[in-house]
Amino acid sequence: MSALPAGFEEHQRRAAAELARLVPASGGRVEQAMAYTALAPSKQVRAVLVLLCAELCRGDADRAVSAAAAIELVHASSLVLDDLPSMDDAPLRRGRRANHLEFGEATAILAAFGLLNLAYGTLAKSYEPPLASRMSALLSDAVGSDGLIGGQSLDLAATDREISFEMLERIHRGKTGALFVAAAMFGALIAGAPADAMAALASYAKNLGLAFQIVDDVLDVAGTTAATGKAVRADARKTTFVSFSGVDGARQLAAELCQTADRALAPFGAKADPLRQLSAFVAARRL
Amino acid sequence: MNEERIDELRQRLRSLGYLDAGVARFVLAPARETRGPLALAARASIRMGLLGGALLGPSAALGLGARLPGLVSGVRDALVLALYLSILFFAAVAAAAFAISTAAAAFVRVRDARFPARARTVSAAAGWCIALGCLAYLTFWWRNANAGFGWSAPLWTTFALVVAVSISWLLGYGLRMATLAVLAAAAAGSGAQLPAIPSTSWRVVVGAAAMAFCGAAALLILTAPTATASARAPLAVVSSGKRLLVIAIDGVDPSTPLSVLRGRRAALAARDTGDPARGWTTIATGEPPEVHGVHGLETRRIAGLRGILAADGGRFERLLGAGTDLVRLTRPSIASREERRVKTVWEIAADAGLRTAVVNWWATWPAPAGGGIVVTDRAVLRLEQGGSLDAEIAPPELYPTLQQGWSSIRARAAEAAARHFADVSDGTLVKVLRRSAELDATVIGLLQALPGPARDLDLVYLPGLDIAQHALLTGSGTAALVPSAVTARVDGLRAYYRFLDATLLPLVSARDPEVLVMVLAEPGRIDTPTDGSLSIAGDASSNGGVSRASPLDVAPTILYALGLPLSRELPGHPLRDVLGSAVANAPERYVPTYGRPFAPAAARKGTPLDQEMIDRLRSLGYVK
Repeated sequence: MSALPAGFEEHQRRAAAELARLVPASGGRVEQAMAYTALAPSKQVRAVLVLLCAELCRGDADRAVSAAAAIELVHASSLVLDDLPSMDDAPLRRGRRANHLEFGEATAILAAFGLLNLAYGTLAKSYEPPLASRMSALLSDAVGSDGLIGGQSLDLAATDREISFEMLERIHRGKTGALFVAAAMFGALIAGAPADAMAALASYAKNLGLAFQIVDDVLDVAGTTAATGKAVRADARKTTFVSFSGVDGARQLAAELCQTADRALAPFGAKADPLRQLSAFVAARRL
Repeated sequence: MNEERIDELRQRLRSLGYLDAGVARFVLAPARETRGPLALAARASIRMGLLGGALLGPSAALGLGARLPGLVSGVRDALVLALYLSILFFAAVAAAAFAISTAAAAFVRVRDARFPARARTVSAAAGWCIALGCLAYLTFWWRNANAGFGWSAPLWTTFALVVAVSISWLLGYGLRMATLAVLAAAAAGSGAQLPAIPSTSWRVVVGAAAMAFCGAAALLILTAPTATASARAPLAVVSSGKRLLVIAIDGVDPSTPLSVLRGRRAALAARDTGDPARGWTTIATGEPPEVHGVHGLETRRIAGLRGILAADGGRFERLLGAGTDLVRLTRPSIASREERRVKTVWEIAADAGLRTAVVNWWATWPAPAGGGIVVTDRAVLRLEQGGSLDAEIAPPELYPTLQQGWSSIRARAAEAAARHFADVSDGTLVKVLRRSAELDATVIGLLQALPGPARDLDLVYLPGLDIAQHALLTGSGTAALVPSAVTARVDGLRAYYRFLDATLLPLVSARDPEVLVMVLAEPGRIDTPTDGSLSIAGDASSNGGVSRASPLDVAPTILYALGLPLSRELPGHPLRDVLGSAVANAPERYVPTYGRPFAPAAARKGTPLDQEMIDRLRSLGYVK
């Protein structure tokens, strides 16, 4: 599934090729389960973000492909865990049956750990020690208790409960925003960008990540399974952005977040236009 | 889902670090669509100008209003003035922002390897430049605004400075971001590494913006002059048992003394100018013009403002005034009470509970509501023209009484003028003398027509002699007169002195023994500064020598004679040697201040007589 604008096809292709290299579809059952989710058609927004940020900061995009793949591996790992019966118990993901339904719960868990392990290994093997170390630390933060794990924990606790707007933001910051920011930082680090440029890109990614999640919430209410590739109305037991602002309000806030993300790119001038296209896609996406 | 709900969520997102709400978002909004550095600089500078105008306009209005008290007569004036100044600051800040950001773009070479570092340095310098300039301006503004309001309390000063720092920081940050964006636009496509944006906490931006806005607005509202700002000093009167009649005569030549000036006398040192509004306000307040605020007869009224802008009369100021008059931004006006910053003797006496009346004194319009009888310098015009009052007379209930007797006052004045100058044959001369005499007699008639019980202090200003002298000896065409014509005119003025003696002597000699009569004489509008005089013709005086004094001593002398304590703010001293022993034996008592005159104007229902007043003064030779 390639839903990104045409200009990003090359970025998607390179990320997909790297993933295919790292996660061969053949092999044991766990490897198959890993490939089942990691190689499933997807937008690969995070991977594209890594590559675009690297290019913007005048880095070598080829050098960033491994990091882009690592980010997608972590994302795939989180999707497998997220769909487990003990978590969201989701039946569909990326247009297919959920990993645990296809391979069994135990294998799915092992596949998730395998993907996560592969991500760290990829970083360690692809980059020189100082950079690999910084990226591993960054990824660890994005996955840890202030990131994916923390967000998922709060999300589980919030199921069937009414939560505050601030709590909802914390959940999404951990589950979505953390990995978006890590992706942007990966691209900037690989390109050797100065700290101020990294701050600008972090601001862009933070706003974009939340906008992406808000649109996800909207699509859960207003989208279709065929279009999104996952079960809709799955978040009925949860408080979402739509609960606070309605569908139109959520779309409006997402658009404003994307505009804010664009403004963070002002010092980059026209060179940041690809990132602006990405945010425009996020604001308008229907799938 | 209504917009309020969305807006609330927007605010909450901002508080969580999304949706930047700072100045950068506002200033850099054009960056998204604009590509060229010049176009971006222009559009960002316009937004910088809007920011500067909105923040600096109200604060400048406050400072200007405090410095020129006649300018802002209420909240409406303050708002209009703030609007004017906002436009001015919009233009100034926008121009400065454009100049600085484009100069920075020209200064930093895009293809230089050190471009990012230089861009950061230059943009930071641009930000500091405007921030420090703004902070210096606001500091001076505070110093001026603080004058007269007693805001010496550390809390107020701290608050004001926090506001100043916030405004300065906002503008500095905005220009820094604009300059960075302009530099980035200049570098686009050049292959140069782009300058990075500084990371600043959104909390600082939002907090500073809110503080600056609320602070400027609060300061403006809090310091708008209101009736409640009129703090009456508690003044205890130790009466000498004497009431006081002060007769002020303008245009007196000291070498041709009036009979009414006989008595114990003090020569008043020549003042710096022949401007009557300035000089007689100095006498009435006991403060120099720099303090009392009435600098000249001619002032300017700014379009949309009820208050006036005092003028010092410098060449540049006159030129500027003519220019702004031409574009209808200002129009000429006459000195009024609104620009006066300190109290007059009659206001101080009224504050102390004494009964007072003042007739035809300069810069008394608009008359205040309460505080004795005030028949302003526009009262004669109003009584002539009729119609509703525009604060020409206070209390307003007095107007019908004076209207009722107006025709007889005028008739008696005309008859007296005709009688005294019946033997003057020169047509021009007699016309001038009669017109001046009619005016003086009318003013005296108004004083005599005031109803009610005897008052503790009466003051009356007689302009006739000065008008006649100015028209006959210093007006246009007088230089070409033949000697006989000059002699005739001097004789005519001598006749005017006799008219004054005849008119005033009944007031001075047939007096109540409890009334002390003080005659103030000033040389009027003459080119050579000459001494004036203060004479006492009451029972408490005696014939004797002439002592030297200053016009600043007149007010303390009047206040002392009435048994009032003296303010330590007054630079002058009571002329005890001029006053008789019945009055001068009392010890001098002092209070720290008399407070500021923030009394609101009396009823203002009628059409203002601004233009009529100018026309009248022009016909009398006061206004060119």
